[in-house]
Amino acid sequence: MKNNIRVERAIKNITQAELAELIGVSRQTINTIESNRYVPSTILALKIARVFGKPAEEIFQLEDGD
Amino acid sequence: MKTRFLFPYWCKYLGVACFVAHVPVVLFQKQLGFDFPGASESTGIFSSHHVFYVLTTLLMLTGLVLFAFSKEKIEDEQIAQLRMDSLQWAVYLSYILLIISLALTSDKADAKDIIHLNVWVPLVIFIVLFRWKMFRNSRYTKEDAI
Repeated sequence: MKNNIRVERAIKNITQAELAELIGVSRQTINTIESNRYVPSTILALKIARVFGKPAEEIFQLEDGD
Repeated sequence: MKTRFLFPYWCKYLGVACFVAHVPVVLFQKQLGFDFPGASESTGIFSSHHVFYVLTTLLMLTGLVLFAFSKEKIEDEQIAQLRMDSLQWAVYLSYILLIISLALTSDKADAKDIIHLNVWVPLVIFIVLFRWKMFRNSRYTKEDAI
């Protein structure tokens, strides 16, 4: 699963640490999600989407292999 | 988000303290030949040697368990995932070690040592794997920030 959290963060002008604080996870977790090393749970994905005010499908997209 | 039962963050330090405290006590008894008065005569569960062994092992294991299963400063699902992965690999590796050491042992006395070794080996492997994964994670994050 790929995502465009990095782009959304740039639009909203917030850092990884700020996003992490907003959803109550560590900065490392945001980093691993952005670099596609960790696939978040549905709850976490929805929390991230809520911060950016967009539906989860706009931030997370399935890849061919999924 | 609720996670599985873990000890509070401060227990990590208590765990280190327990583990560190047990080392000089065991070294003192083993290396310097310190012995309890009348220890050589007593045998069985309540012999001073056995009580000493049980108490020091309990101190060491309490330390290792507290250190291994305390919450991180910020505990989240990704850390829970790392913990589960490390636990799984620790079980695999310790069973591989156990099978190898049992296969290469024919003496019953050695088999007793293997059991004693397996009291702490899975926990130590788990701690090393988990701390390594956590270290690698924070290194990636730092590199990314540069």
